Amino acid sequence: MHKKYEYWLAAIPGLANGSKQMLREHMKSAERAYYIEETALQKLDFLTEKDREILRQAKKKYNPEEICEELETKQIQVAIYFEETYPSRLKMIADNPYAIYFKGNLPDEKQYSVGMVGARRCTAYGETYAYEYAKILSEFHIQIISGLARGIDGVSQRGALVGGGKTFAVMGNGVDICYPRENSGLYGDILAAGGGILSELPPGTPPMPYQFPRRNRIISGLSDTVLVMEAREKSGSLITADMALEQGKDVYALPGSVDSALSLGCNRLIWQGAGILLSPGHLLEELGVVNHEDYMKFSGKSDEKCVEKKKVLETKENLVYSSVGFHPKSANQIVSETGLPAQVVFQLLSALEIQGMIKEVSKNYYVKA
Amino acid sequence: MSVSTVLSAAVFGLKAEFVNVEADVSNGLPAFHMVGYLSSEVKEAVERVRTAIRNSGLEFPAKKVVINLAPATIKKRGAMFDLPIALAILVSLGQLKQERIGKLLILGELGLDGTVQRVPGILPIVLEAQDAGVTSCMIPKENALEGALAEGMEIIGVRSLQEAVAHIQGTLEIPPEPYPVQRMYSHAGTERLDYSDVYGQEVVKRAAEVAVAGCHNLLLIGPPGSGKSMIAKRIPTIFPPMTMEECMETTKIYSILSMLDEQNPLIRRRPFRSVHHTATKTAMVGGGVIPTPGEISLAHGGVLFLDELPEFRREVLEVLRQPLEERQIRITRSSGTCQFPANFILVGAMNPCPCGCYPDLNRCSCTDKEIQRYMGRLSQPFLDRMDICVEAPQVKYEALKGQRQEERSADIQERVGRAREVQNERYKGTGIRSNAALEGRNLERYCELGKTEEQLMQQAFSRLRLTARTYHKVLKVARTIADLDGQEKINTEHLQEAIGYRTINKKYWGRGA
Repeated sequence: MHKKYEYWLAAIPGLANGSKQMLREHMKSAERAYYIEETALQKLDFLTEKDREILRQAKKKYNPEEICEELETKQIQVAIYFEETYPSRLKMIADNPYAIYFKGNLPDEKQYSVGMVGARRCTAYGETYAYEYAKILSEFHIQIISGLARGIDGVSQRGALVGGGKTFAVMGNGVDICYPRENSGLYGDILAAGGGILSELPPGTPPMPYQFPRRNRIISGLSDTVLVMEAREKSGSLITADMALEQGKDVYALPGSVDSALSLGCNRLIWQGAGILLSPGHLLEELGVVNHEDYMKFSGKSDEKCVEKKKVLETKENLVYSSVGFHPKSANQIVSETGLPAQVVFQLLSALEIQGMIKEVSKNYYVKA
Repeated sequence: MSVSTVLSAAVFGLKAEFVNVEADVSNGLPAFHMVGYLSSEVKEAVERVRTAIRNSGLEFPAKKVVINLAPATIKKRGAMFDLPIALAILVSLGQLKQERIGKLLILGELGLDGTVQRVPGILPIVLEAQDAGVTSCMIPKENALEGALAEGMEIIGVRSLQEAVAHIQGTLEIPPEPYPVQRMYSHAGTERLDYSDVYGQEVVKRAAEVAVAGCHNLLLIGPPGSGKSMIAKRIPTIFPPMTMEECMETTKIYSILSMLDEQNPLIRRRPFRSVHHTATKTAMVGGGVIPTPGEISLAHGGVLFLDELPEFRREVLEVLRQPLEERQIRITRSSGTCQFPANFILVGAMNPCPCGCYPDLNRCSCTDKEIQRYMGRLSQPFLDRMDICVEAPQVKYEALKGQRQEERSADIQERVGRAREVQNERYKGTGIRSNAALEGRNLERYCELGKTEEQLMQQAFSRLRLTARTYHKVLKVARTIADLDGQEKINTEHLQEAIGYRTINKKYWGRGA
């Protein structure tokens, strides 16, 4: 038996995961499915006429050898649902993918993994905490699962890399395509750090809007716990949270200000009974991955850092720095709040920016870095 | 009856072309011929002149009349030849004496009843005639004050053909128009706009001050209704007052387009030109068969304001790049090349995103793609010409209440004036007009940095992802801030402030918040 037929079956688009699995079970191997005769095919009553047509076309359109070659040259591995390598976490979920294509590695079965999701267009608040949580969780060898998207996803995975851990990106397209393009640096870094890029879609599949909600079920499926960092009331992140709940995973949400549209989804989740993210230490304790001593050691360290940061600032700088928050504030607002002349505020803002204390997110709008 | 000649002129760009209007009246089949490379509005003078002469109580016999406008190589346009043609015919008919017309330069359009109507381009023509040795001009009464701006020129303003004839015959003495500049200075109109009308907006006010002090172009980014145009309109009030030379230059441009006030022709207020985003290339920089000035020249010495910058057609913005560098525009057409001055400060205004609310994510519903498409309408080279860029935020209630006394334009004007003087002193004899014009070696020479300042710039360069272009702009703007501060050396505070004004980089726009 050669695996090329298995890859062929896995790569057929348009055939539901369930149908593929039933076909594979019925025929006992993909090779037999490939060479199935018309009369036998007609007898498979779990397939619709449309499925049969897809199979007939697939035999003409896709060459098992070529598929094998492509996987090899692009260094993409495949884990099919009945194989040893197939993540056991995914076996537990409904509508589990027939196969997982991946570059690099798959998440370690024995390590705890946390999914982190949130808005693509997020605020500095969400960004800061996504980074912080990912970094600290990663320092405690927790694997971070996310989607490599703009905003929260990307920031979480960057944080995880800085924390020295492994992180895995589940894509809504083929693993050989980096989408969004601006995260191509991160894509490489994830692989270099021993993490992985995963997808249920065969290589070369372009990103399409309808594929993303489906990939969310894999993110939550691979995670033991899902953190929602920032979400609008109707958003993809909430879909992920819903799926996580269906799959029986714990969901935590980062609370936010009630007047921030991007925290509405999170606050609502908390109201519905999701866990609340009070602090990374609190979360670690809840997850049960860290003992009390480690947690104390860690929290003591972070307090110290905070004090240090403030001490080096001069009084006027401090005045400006403290009026900058997580929500973008304009230079003009800072002028009227501090009562300093415009040119002085600009001097201090630039000084703070150069020191890396604050960040200009839009022209003359600043947030804490 | 003989050939007669009357001196007239036409404007070409900002220059005058002198035209000899020759008339010949002879026996033959009654006819009225006009030659001399004429456009149709000049040819139509036939009917106007004939009717005007008759309606002025003068005789127009049934004879063969030939008019020639020399030199025949220049295309003639406009209706200013009506009066000289009529007078030339009357000379040929023997009703006027050629020697009494002499070297009088005559301009004016005729109505059918014989009234003389105003024509464009009087001031440039009269000034150039003065240089050419002409001492006396006969022009429409409505243009008389404008013509009289040429000091020393004898200006005879006439209301009708009858008056003109009577004056030349000597039966009616029309006194020459007196040089009116003194009178107009004493009557200097009071400026109605003032900076103290604007509450809050400290950041934009300060940025405008720096921009005017160093002739930097200014880009305002803010949501709709944030008072961007309210502030822009008041920027001319903080410029140093116009010198007489500047006044004349700007007035000449407005004269060509007949945009002067009859009673107060001299332009003493700095122009503020707000251009709508549907403007064409020609409307913006000027053009036409015989080129006329566009908005950039009308803004000469003042402010050109472009609201909704990304809505402008791209080619219209791109065409601004060259005049922004050279401070003048050269327009070449088949009829020749014209130069118009275009030394203005460009003030652009735009929304941060299509809906205008970015980076307030509670209200902004634009996607990254939409924001990028919006920004994509501006080219980076164009953005790079905007030295100073600041946000113009929504005005809040506290600011509207206006608790504190707002600064008046006159106070800011004084500081700006001092900074300009410092620059004039420093750049004397170098050909550099202002800090904004610093380039290459001059930039290094006049914006020298100390050790700590160098260090700061190095940090800023790597931390803030500055490009080489923005680096130079920060230096130039810091130079201006130092001049405003009365400091010879640029210090870190000047640099820090200038960094706050740096131009946006399209690449990173809309990627944060």
